Order: sequence, then structure tokens, then C-alpha cells
Amino acid sequence: MIFAILLSLSTSVLTVNTANPPVEEFFASNHTNNWAVLVDASRFWFNYRHVANVLSIYRSVKRLGIPDSHIILMVADDMACNPRNPRPATVFNNANQHINVYGDDVEVDYRGYEVTVENFIRVLTGRLSPSTPRSKRLLSDERSNILVYMTGHGGDGFLKFQDSEEISSVELADAFQQMWQKRRYHEIFFMIDTCQAESMFQKFYSPNILAVASSKVGEDSLSHHVDPAIGVYVIDRYTYYALEFLENVQPGSKKTMDQFFKVCPRIQCQSTVSVRTDLFQRDPKKTIITDFFGSVRNVELLTETLNLQDSTAELSCSKDKCPEDKPPKSGVQPLSYAKQFPMPN
Amino acid sequence: MDASIGPWHRTRCLLYFKIIFLFFKVYALPDDTFSEELLVKPFESGQVLFHFQFTTLWNASTAEPGSFTHYRLFPKALGDVLVKYQVQELHLSLTQGLWRYEKWGYPPEDAPPGVELWVWFLPTVSNIDKTWSDLVNALSGLFCASLNFMDSKSTVLPRWSFRPMGLASEYYSFDSRFMRYSALPKEIVCTENLTPWKKLLPCLSRVGLATLLNAMKLYDSYYSSLGIHVRPVCRTQTCTDQSIELKQTLSVVFDPTISSSGYQNWQLRSLFGDPLTSQCPLASISKVYLDKAHLQSSDATVTLYPEPDEVVNFTRGREKLTYAVWDIGRQISRHQQLNLAIHYNRKIHYGEINPPPVYAQRFITGFGLEKGGITSIIYNNLDTNLTAIYMETIPWFLRLYFSSITITNHGIVVKPYKIHYVPGKDRARNYQLELVFRLRPHSVTKISMQFERAFLKWTEYPPDANHGFYVNSAIISTVLPDAYNYTASPQTSSLLGDSTRDNSTEFFLRLHTETLLVSLPTPDFSMPYNVICLACTVVAIVFGSIHNLTTRRFIAVDPDKQVGIIQKIKNKFKRNKPEEIVAELTASESVDQKNESDIKTKKKEEMG
Repeated sequence: MIFAILLSLSTSVLTVNTANPPVEEFFASNHTNNWAVLVDASRFWFNYRHVANVLSIYRSVKRLGIPDSHIILMVADDMACNPRNPRPATVFNNANQHINVYGDDVEVDYRGYEVTVENFIRVLTGRLSPSTPRSKRLLSDERSNILVYMTGHGGDGFLKFQDSEEISSVELADAFQQMWQKRRYHEIFFMIDTCQAESMFQKFYSPNILAVASSKVGEDSLSHHVDPAIGVYVIDRYTYYALEFLENVQPGSKKTMDQFFKVCPRIQCQSTVSVRTDLFQRDPKKTIITDFFGSVRNVELLTETLNLQDSTAELSCSKDKCPEDKPPKSGVQPLSYAKQFPMPN
Repeated sequence: MDASIGPWHRTRCLLYFKIIFLFFKVYALPDDTFSEELLVKPFESGQVLFHFQFTTLWNASTAEPGSFTHYRLFPKALGDVLVKYQVQELHLSLTQGLWRYEKWGYPPEDAPPGVELWVWFLPTVSNIDKTWSDLVNALSGLFCASLNFMDSKSTVLPRWSFRPMGLASEYYSFDSRFMRYSALPKEIVCTENLTPWKKLLPCLSRVGLATLLNAMKLYDSYYSSLGIHVRPVCRTQTCTDQSIELKQTLSVVFDPTISSSGYQNWQLRSLFGDPLTSQCPLASISKVYLDKAHLQSSDATVTLYPEPDEVVNFTRGREKLTYAVWDIGRQISRHQQLNLAIHYNRKIHYGEINPPPVYAQRFITGFGLEKGGITSIIYNNLDTNLTAIYMETIPWFLRLYFSSITITNHGIVVKPYKIHYVPGKDRARNYQLELVFRLRPHSVTKISMQFERAFLKWTEYPPDANHGFYVNSAIISTVLPDAYNYTASPQTSSLLGDSTRDNSTEFFLRLHTETLLVSLPTPDFSMPYNVICLACTVVAIVFGSIHNLTTRRFIAVDPDKQVGIIQKIKNKFKRNKPEEIVAELTASESVDQKNESDIKTKKKEEMG
């Protein structure tokens, strides 16, 4: 029996490896910009793995070309500088510390108590207060491909935020519909790693959404392994294998979404990865993965030549040599520094 | 473009161009300078402070928005924010860890744990509250911190504790309407805050001193603090014009005795991961200073490597100080790198450390979840009286009793000279208290106050309510007559190195006490669930029994009726067969009917 499983595993691995990406021309994706909304909805140290999950995807999309300005990263708790972390300013997805997914130039847009269902829905639908800075806004348009990744503790039809509130699958579906009506996306790739994850995309009814979930309704999504030095589970199974796949994707890669959907078969995940393609107009076999994980850069070539000045070159006159551009004002009251201590000593 | 317009227009255009060109030429002069400095100070306790300061000076002023057009060294991301929200002065600090005044003396830039922001707005701002809330939102995006939580509930207008640090008229600086102060003691500081901070530097973190700022090393330390300080300063000696000064500071305290097994030895490579191999080409000054105050007092033989370029002896106040100075550019051209190192010939001796002249402790008193108190203890080790301003901001859910505020000095009640007290309002404003009083020489002054804990509404509790609620640091301001353990640079200068030329006789000191963690009466959040479960159980039991009582018929069994042994055995076998049970039931029913009259009489007895 075990032998049979091993055999089937090895054959499935072989088929994945030997299936070269089809050389035929891909359907034009028609998007002009890429965005990513990455959400970790769990607080508390024992949910370290959820932060590692979201940072794994953050690392991948950043490596594949989506700039920080186009990534909305929501992390509900601080794991990197948590007093319990024996290796400060790092989050590893692996007990062998292969990849520090936190990196040296991370930019978290929503953190701690800011990660709420309300803020998440507001980011998606664009209903934010006028003073919200650009880095906290999803400024997408009808030509944007958006990757939405969520992780946390969930159940049938909901995902918990910070262990105190939850978003339901209906709310999420309505938010996507509102985005569609407001022309805030061209295509969405929705990815979720939580228990009973499939239930979160079952209610979707807006067009052009491709969705993948780590488990079916009634199944738990499990964590991958524990790091005894940290004392907690460091990453979830589905995201671990997804990251393993994405680490081999380069910006010019022709790997398809269909190949990505085959990541983490039941033997590895211990849950069934579930996919929804009925809302999506294109064939996932002909949709390249960088349509969502990478970034489009439209380059327009100019025929003119522009001469730029060397701004670092020494200027012809220095501050000491140059005559004062303004003569010293006469009769003007000199300015003075404020007194720091307004009391008599 | 020129072809489409007439010759007359063309000459006029050219004239305009010339005027614009002239205008640009004026602004294209190097009217901004950048300098990078590092102050190293080994402490008696074994730890070492590294204080980085990156200073940009620019002949511009937020009062003249036109001067903020042609950026060179000044970061545009920050400049735009300053101009848009008409900021005169801005001081932001993001800190992890607590500064130990007793062991380490005074820091070059004082900061409380968490985030602190205080801003002076230009007098031209019409609606300061609105501008403040927009500004904190903009800064929260710029520095990846939750500064947007600095709303009206956590913002105060200190009357005396915070004066403008830069140029300001006396009339303006006494008007606290133009300033706002807020702090978030819980805010965590990590790489995501360092990243945008580094991006404001003109050389980023690729060359120069900023190459040492490796997040994994910086946050593996005892204390690390990021700072952004913007203020107007004198452009020239005569001070008829003002420039804008941006000081980006980073303080970090390491303990090298852990990794060098009791020795205080360290080198840049071991602490920061890399030695210094470059100098920022845009910097006009790139220097490293080492405060030798402690090295000279200890009896160990200390070797500095490489030899300093210069050793500066100077007097500040009455304090004699020595700085060893390395010029980064000169060192790198000579040795290709600067891997500053200190070698001690013996292990560190832990002894009693001379505390600084003034320091404080603050803690929560009382027990239970109904009432509590805050007590601060301020030590004055000087021979002279000191006037101190004590500022306290307490969240609204700790309802302060004004009558309970007492200041005592060795049991004698001290009467404050001045009190500024703004009572809090539930869900709208926090309690703000400023006290001005005298610290007697060689004495300990105790300030205590009582509060009552409020109940929060169900939705007001944070997700980790049982962790507790943080209270801001108290702030103590005073003026020291001496510079013992004092490292801040003088107010009139922009550079760390200017401390060596400081001839002032008064040293303004602002120190932050510990933040406090208070637990509030927190409900059991699973209570509604429990209530539902319990209520359902009760309903089920009550309903079930009533249902049973009202729908079942009771049968009287005659105990006198003898059942034979054979019948008993038969019954046992029959019990498991459903058909026969049914048969038995029907049989018993017929029995029931027979005994109906008996039951009725029995029931009457029970009810009666």
C-alpha cells in the first residue's frame, strides 16, 4: 500500500517536472499594472506561521517585480521584533533558516490593531478617508490584475481577524462585486490558506476571479513543521509548497496558473487544494503565473535624446567663493532660538 | 514650439527663460549640506552606545513654500509633507527598549519607549486639529507606523514642557496652541520603520555610515531608537535668515561583554556585521567620535584601533571631556576600511556606577481592578535647587482624582509653583497634567496620584485586552548647571562635533520615565457564548421536564404483586426484542386502564 502511494507520488512528481510549459502563444492578459493585497489576520506569538505565510508571498511578489508601492501588506502582529523571537528582525519559513522572509527592506502598510475587517474591506473598495496616505491605498483601475492572499484561522464561511472579529464569505464576495462595479480590477487571483478555505470563495459571483484554497469544506489546513529553537510552528503546508514553487519562478517565466494549482497534492498538504475557475474568462493552462505574481512594465521608447546634467559634479562656484546672492539685510531684527525652559531656575 | 509663435513672442519668451534661468542659477548653488557623524560612548556597565546622526541643512524655510522646489539633499518625501501641513518643527522618535539613565547617563536624543511625535505648526495654519490628523496620517504612511492612532484621544497641548527647539519668537514659543504632542507607548519598532527612515538619507544605505545599519544587528540590542528632527536654524552667524535642519538620528546600545566573554572588547565588524568601507560622497563631514570619559576613569589599559586622527580635550560646563576623532574619508583612503575596535587588557569589573544628577522612576501602585495610583520618584543628586516641570498624560479610562495629587520631599509636602491640569473626557480627551515644583538638593521627591479604572464598552477592547493598557511616559524637564553625563549637542548647533565647542553654562534636560502597563477590568469575551449555552441548557432541562410531566402518564406499580423467578428470567430475555417490548407496552396499557381509578386517587394525593 505504502509502496503504491510512493509510486504514485513519484510518477506525479515526474509528470510535473516533465510537463514543459506549452510554447504556444499565450492569450494576451490585457492588464497594465499589478497589485497585491496580502493579509495575515492572526495575532499572537503562536500564530507565527501565519505571519511567515504572508511574508513568504510578499517576498515572492516583490522578487517577481511588484514594487512596495503596489503591495498592501497587512500583518496583525509583530513577530520579527517580538520579545519571544530569539532571532530579532527575522522571520524564517524553515527551521533550517534557509529564507528570511522578513528581509532587510520590508514595508508593512497596516499593522497591529489596524488590521481589521473594516480596514480590509475599505482598502479593497477604496472607501478610505481622504487623508489616508498613498501607501495604504489600493489605487487599482480597470486594467489592474490583483493578487489577494489571506491567511489566518477560519471555518466554514468565515475567516477570523485578530481572534476578535471575522469576515464572512458573503461579505468578501460583495466586496469583490463592489470592486468590479467600481472598475477597480481587471482580474483577481484569490488565494487563501486557512481551515475550510474553500468556503471563502464559494460565494463569489463577480467575473474574472480565479481562486485557490488550501482545503475543502470540512478539512483542516495543517502546518508544515515546528522550529524547536523558536518553539512554534513556522509555516503552513500549502504556503510552504507554494513558496517552494514560486522560488523557482523567474520574472520571465512561462509557468502557468494550472501548474501552480497542482502545487501541494494531498500527500503533501494532507488537505485537498481546491480551485475555482468558472468565473475566470481565460484558460488557467494558458494564463502565466506572472500575470498575478509579477509586474507588467510598459516601456515606451523615445527617439529623442535627452541630455541630463551630472548633479554630483562640482559646481563652478562653491559656497565660500561665491558672492552672497543676497546682501545681508540691514535693520532686520536677528532671529533667535526659543528658550527651552520657560521657568525661572 | 518656437516655430508656432511669432518673433515678438519669441523674444519675450527668451526674456522669460532668462529670468527663469537666473532664478534657477541662484537656487542651483550648493545651498544645502549633509554630514554624517557617529558618536561612540562606552558605559561603565559594559554596554556601548552608538549614536548615528545624519544632518541635512538647507537654505529653505517651510514659511516660504516657494523655497521647497528644487530638492538636492533634503528628502522630497518629507519636504512635501512639511510644506503641505505647514510644519515649523517636527520631532518624531521610534524607540524599542528603555533608556537606563542610572547606568548610561543622558542620551544624545531623549526618547520614550514606543513612538513620540511633537510638532509646532506655523501660525498661518487655520485648523490645527484637522492639519494634525492629516499630518499623522501622512507620517504613518511615510514611516510604516500606526501613527494614525494619534487622534484627539491621545493628543495634548503641553503648556510648558515642549518649547520650539529652533528659531522662534518669544511670542510664538509661549503659545502652545500651535503645538501638538502625542505618544504611542505600545508601538513596536522594527525593520519596517528602519527601511523608510534609511530611504530619506541622500546616500541611502549603500555608502557611508548608513552601511552599518543592518536591521538584524540593530534590533538584537538593548535599546534602539530612530529619530527625525526638523527645525529652523540660523543660516549665518548674524542670523538674519533661517535654514531648515533635518537631523536623522539612530541610537543603539549593545553589550559586547556577552560575546567577548566578560571583556568589553568590540569592533565594528562584530557589532554591525561589516566594517566601514566607504564615505558618503555627498557628505561634507564624515566623522566618528569616541567619548573617552569612562575609558580614562577605569584602571584597565585600553587600546584603540586604528589610532585616532585627532584627540580633542575640551571643557563643557565644569566637566572635562576627551573625544577621539576619526575622519572616515582619511581613514578609508589610508586603510581602505575603518574597522574601529577597542581592546581592554582585563575583564570588566562591575562596580557601583555614579548615577547622573537627575533621574526618575515611575510605577503603578495599589491593588485590585477598581482603583490604583501612579507614583514617580525623582532623584536630585546636585548641591543646588532645581526647578522641574513634570508632565503626565493619562488615558481617559484611568480617571484621575485631582485632589489626590501630592508632591512630597522626605515627608514634607512640596507646594507646586504652577499647575496646568486639563481633565479628561470619556472617549474624547485624555488627562493632562503639568506641575512645576522645586527639587531640593540631595533629595528624593515623590509625586503620587490616584485614579479609578473605567469600564470600557464591549467594542472598545483591543483584541489582546488581557495584555493590559499602556500609559505614556511622564516627562521631566529641568536645567542642569553642569554637563556631567550630558551628551546632547547644544541648541545653537547642528552637529555632534559642536559639543566640543560648547561654552554654555546651562544644559536643558528632558527625560522620559518608564511607560506603565495597567490592567483594566476585562470581561470574559466568551461570555455571550457561555450565556447562550447555559440558557439553552436551562431551557432544555425546564422544557424537557415540563414536557415530560404534561405528556406522560404515570403508572402505579403494585409492589405486592409477586413476580415468579421464571417470569423474571423471561422478562430479561424479552427486553432486548423491540416487537415484544411493544407487545409488553400494550399489555401494560391494558393494565393501566384497569388501575386508572387508583392512579387518579394517587395523583390527587401528590398534588395536594
